[in-house]
Amino acid sequence: MNRHPSLVLVISLLLGACAGVLGIRPTPSHPFEHRAHVLKGVGCLSCHAGVPSAGDSDGMHFPVTADCVRCHTTPHDARTCENCHGEAHVRGGAELARRHLKFEHRTHMPAAQGDCVRCHVEVGVERPEALRPKMAICFGCHQHEDQWRTRDCDGCHVDLAAEDTLPTSHLVHDGDWGREHGVRAASARDLCASCHSERYCAGCHGVGVVPALPSRLTFDDVRLSGLHRAGFRSRHALEARGQPGLCTTCHSERSCMDCHATLGVAAGSANQSPHPPGWLTTSRGGGQHGTQARLDPMSCASCHGGAGEKLCVDCHRVGGPGGNPHGRGFSSTKDKLTDVPCRLCHGIP
Amino acid sequence: MWGRIGRLAWWLAALGVSFSSRAAAEPLRLRADAVSEVRAPTGLVILQGQDKKYPWLDAEALVWAGARTDPTADVLVLTLKLRAPRGWGDLRLGRFVFSTGAIRPLALDGVAATARAPWGLSGEVFAGVPVVPRFAISTHDQAAGGRLAQRIASRATVGVSYTEQRARGVLSERELGADLALVPAPLLDIAARGAYDLVSPGIVDGNISGATRFGHFRVELFGTHRSPSRLLPATSLFSVLGDFPSQVLGGAVRWEAAPRLDVMLTGGGQDIGGELGGYATLRGTLRLDEDGLGRVGLEVRRQDVPLSQWSGVRATVSEPLGDHWRVSSELEVAAADASSDRGAAWPWGLVALGWRSRKGWEASAALEAGSTPRYRFEMNGLLRVSRTLEVP
Repeated sequence: MNRHPSLVLVISLLLGACAGVLGIRPTPSHPFEHRAHVLKGVGCLSCHAGVPSAGDSDGMHFPVTADCVRCHTTPHDARTCENCHGEAHVRGGAELARRHLKFEHRTHMPAAQGDCVRCHVEVGVERPEALRPKMAICFGCHQHEDQWRTRDCDGCHVDLAAEDTLPTSHLVHDGDWGREHGVRAASARDLCASCHSERYCAGCHGVGVVPALPSRLTFDDVRLSGLHRAGFRSRHALEARGQPGLCTTCHSERSCMDCHATLGVAAGSANQSPHPPGWLTTSRGGGQHGTQARLDPMSCASCHGGAGEKLCVDCHRVGGPGGNPHGRGFSSTKDKLTDVPCRLCHGIP
Repeated sequence: MWGRIGRLAWWLAALGVSFSSRAAAEPLRLRADAVSEVRAPTGLVILQGQDKKYPWLDAEALVWAGARTDPTADVLVLTLKLRAPRGWGDLRLGRFVFSTGAIRPLALDGVAATARAPWGLSGEVFAGVPVVPRFAISTHDQAAGGRLAQRIASRATVGVSYTEQRARGVLSERELGADLALVPAPLLDIAARGAYDLVSPGIVDGNISGATRFGHFRVELFGTHRSPSRLLPATSLFSVLGDFPSQVLGGAVRWEAAPRLDVMLTGGGQDIGGELGGYATLRGTLRLDEDGLGRVGLEVRRQDVPLSQWSGVRATVSEPLGDHWRVSSELEVAAADASSDRGAAWPWGLVALGWRSRKGWEASAALEAGSTPRYRFEMNGLLRVSRTLEVP
């Protein structure tokens, strides 16, 4: 290593740069030292005057430079203190709380007996993430079990759906959520509905939503998650074949044809079959079409459904040259002579 | 034509009634988006709003209108929700998406009611007509069903559901479902659901997922089972082809590799009608600042099953420019193993510039270009102008 000091220098610089980019090395900021002030015996109200009488719509009571220079009579910088010592995400969190929560300091101060740290516990932490109390702190005094059970959040939250904030303490949306959300939501629809509006679900699960898909509307908010993003139009056939039945869980079998017709895109022209060679043969087995249809019947139904079923019935009707189309595991409670679709093949012609 | 106009008028009248009285305490929120594409002369206006006149009443709507070849419009959501005091029940009326337990999402014109008992029992029922796009109505289509669930302490919820649908008066779906949510340990949660077809007896679909967190990791194991023929309506000729299920057994690991870097690996083995294969996705997201306003993402995918063999790579970058502007870009290349008349590789890219004011205005413009199965090269311009209003 001693023979390559320049290499060591380059690697050190790269590691240093990476540490900054990855957030391993903290950014040089000087957050306000709440803890140090508390330990020095400075009362919260010395800086946050007016809080004890503050109602739901009053100001934020952030201290300004004038409050600081009452004690720090010779500031080290002529600029305003909050320029460096007020962290944006801490103030942002407090502003969000004011906007989205029904809360009055004046009704809480008597119960807390003036002890602000009882709720704002992060004041005692060296570099707090947020000074806004977490919901669990509220539950320390308020027994909201009934409201929690019935998702009656309006007592404290102005409009939970409009908050547009991800939960961080419960039901964290941190996995492969696009795939996972269905099974997670199955037993907790009302929990999901406490934040997500009908419009949110209908954006993807509504019928005929292609023009209004969220990914199409928010094209400037690029992200990796989401089913229909980026060049989905080009790869949708590959994705559908790779997960047979997945599309059918949201889309009807007619969706493919409806969309292709709307866009003027046909799977094949009148003179050209979209199917590969060997798709349909007169040999035993009839070629690939039977196997492929069993693996992914929606693909067939999307073009050959409805009136197009006649093409299949002509060959596969009882006594027809195509033989019995029922694969393994088929059984039905339908009456084969009278019910649709059984009667198409089993009924009297 | 007049029938469509009449139905549109009915929906708009209903929308007007929903929002005719403004909230005293809660604001009326309205949002309008106008989107235009250069590729095809498409215009799209989306109006959505929500109002809470009383604590027991919510109203919500999302409608859109647009033109590609012919002017058209549709209502995605138009719902009134009435809530019993203290959340013991609610009633939804109008057009909404219903999904609960093992009942798959169903867009419905109808009614849904929920009742909750203090001891953790809850019941949900729904009935209505499945939505047909563009104001069409199929009066002989019906759907109805419900779910009964019991919460056991705060550790588990079990539910059973039933759904039945008719298409043109003929039975097209009759399913019995079950769902489970379980938290056996503080950092372990398990969820499962499954539906059983009563028309063509057998499992329609099933999902199970178990996830745990430790340190900077979250690990999930999951399994899915789908029977494609049973997912089709029982009125379809293609529902009689037998049981050739598609099954996946896989896992997902999310790793907070650094304070600003998240890495996720998802993959699984697949069995499609007896043919084996698999897929994997590796995804990394790097936040460029403490608040995650700027982001860089990279995703690599590979799918290898008999019906679908392809690879893909995608990169995204998004960075705010000052308080109001944002520039974003997204690049993707998907390549199929086998070349066909649809092509073998499809590169796609987008560059977007967005602006947002403090007064609720937003505007975005983007240029997207790529190669598609239809065209060797395609370019498109996108423009969106949005306005969000809150009326106190």
